[in-house]
Amino acid sequence: MTLILENLALFWIGLRTTLLLAFFTLVASTVIGVVLGVLATFPARFLRILVALYVETFRDIPLIVTIFTIFFGAPFLGVPLQPFPAVALGLSLWGGANAAEIVRGGIQAVASGQTDAARALGLRRWQIYRLVLLPQAVRSVLPAFTGLLALIVQSTSLGALVGATEFLKAGGLVIERSTVMLGINPAFQIYGFVLLVYFSICSVLTALSRRLEVRLAATGQRAVVTPPDAASI
Amino acid sequence: MEFDVPYLIRHLPALGRGLALTIQVSALAIVLSVFVGLVGASLRVMRFPVLSQAAAAYVEFIRNTPLLVQLFFVFFGLPTVGLTLSLFWSGVFALTLWAGAFQIENVRGGLASVSPGLNEAARALGLSKGQYLRFVGLPLAVRVGLPSILNTSVSLIKNSAYLSAIGLQELTGVAFDRIAIDFRAFEMLSVLLAGYLSVVLTLSAAVRAFEYRLQAPFRR
Repeated sequence: MTLILENLALFWIGLRTTLLLAFFTLVASTVIGVVLGVLATFPARFLRILVALYVETFRDIPLIVTIFTIFFGAPFLGVPLQPFPAVALGLSLWGGANAAEIVRGGIQAVASGQTDAARALGLRRWQIYRLVLLPQAVRSVLPAFTGLLALIVQSTSLGALVGATEFLKAGGLVIERSTVMLGINPAFQIYGFVLLVYFSICSVLTALSRRLEVRLAATGQRAVVTPPDAASI
Repeated sequence: MEFDVPYLIRHLPALGRGLALTIQVSALAIVLSVFVGLVGASLRVMRFPVLSQAAAAYVEFIRNTPLLVQLFFVFFGLPTVGLTLSLFWSGVFALTLWAGAFQIENVRGGLASVSPGLNEAARALGLSKGQYLRFVGLPLAVRVGLPSILNTSVSLIKNSAYLSAIGLQELTGVAFDRIAIDFRAFEMLSVLLAGYLSVVLTLSAAVRAFEYRLQAPFRR
């Protein structure tokens, strides 16, 4: 316990990096997700196939392999990446694939009569998306996006493996330090503490996701897009 | 940098051993996690006072913490309080712990879909709660929950790549060690991508085909 208090500054640095990584990843995943999710609902078949290919690739390759590939592979292409951008990129490619699935589901959940009506009113395709489909999709994808954010927060821990000093790495440093300098190995307590902190962040997000789902159900609209869980992606 | 095929062929045996280890760890963890799922889901629906809540808390905790931290806790943390497992069994244990939570939810979802009339019928025939689960509830629940149980299992295989982080020489571990030693990336990375994609896609296709067959009695 004293060890945790003594190293609060280091833990704070780690937590900040974790939250920053999660934030960047969320923004980038949302951008990728909206673009690909919209493309996946276009009538053109090859677009759907391209998006499906992207989504399947990044969901089926272990995330750890994606991040390692980017971090260790980048120098071979002549663009060495720092740990932080490498992890952010890997997480975003993976998060974008999952976000695309969510957005696609959200758009498809909007009643098809809406599109017909919009077209009958003379709206162009991008107007239909901007004015009719996307605003309605936002509501139904909100629970799923909150759930995805919880998964993103969890996945940022992979940064520890390529040297980004995020929360897990900070815990590892505290353990190393105290093993070398004090001769005691507090791995049980420190990793236990790290687990608890991740748990408190993520359980708030999952609880929020559930509440949003309940509220959405109360408005009569079914949350057609279920939040992803760690074992389904 | 060109793609060096002889180099790749030279290291295929090592990669094969890595893949074998990946499959071995995953297979053990899948079997154990399904067992955890059956027991945990039974505890939850039987409403044993403390055990039921403990199972629920376990599920919540695992779902809301990163697998990597769980793995580090098991491999680095537990030995400091006297619980030492070998590298291999630490990996199996961590994966089981993680997947078990999801399997509990999968089996529980299956149990929830079993019509309550069957439970009442079983009780009327004098079956105890435990006998109901064993002979009626769980067999039906597994059938309904099988697609999600298998999906979790596919996910487990994918996530066995995390075990390279504690130094287990499974597929990912072997490939990235070679990259670090030989400074050649493309050969190993392509094997890795091809390896996981083929395992995961084959299994997902099998899951879908199986799902289709399981639905047969309900299809019109």
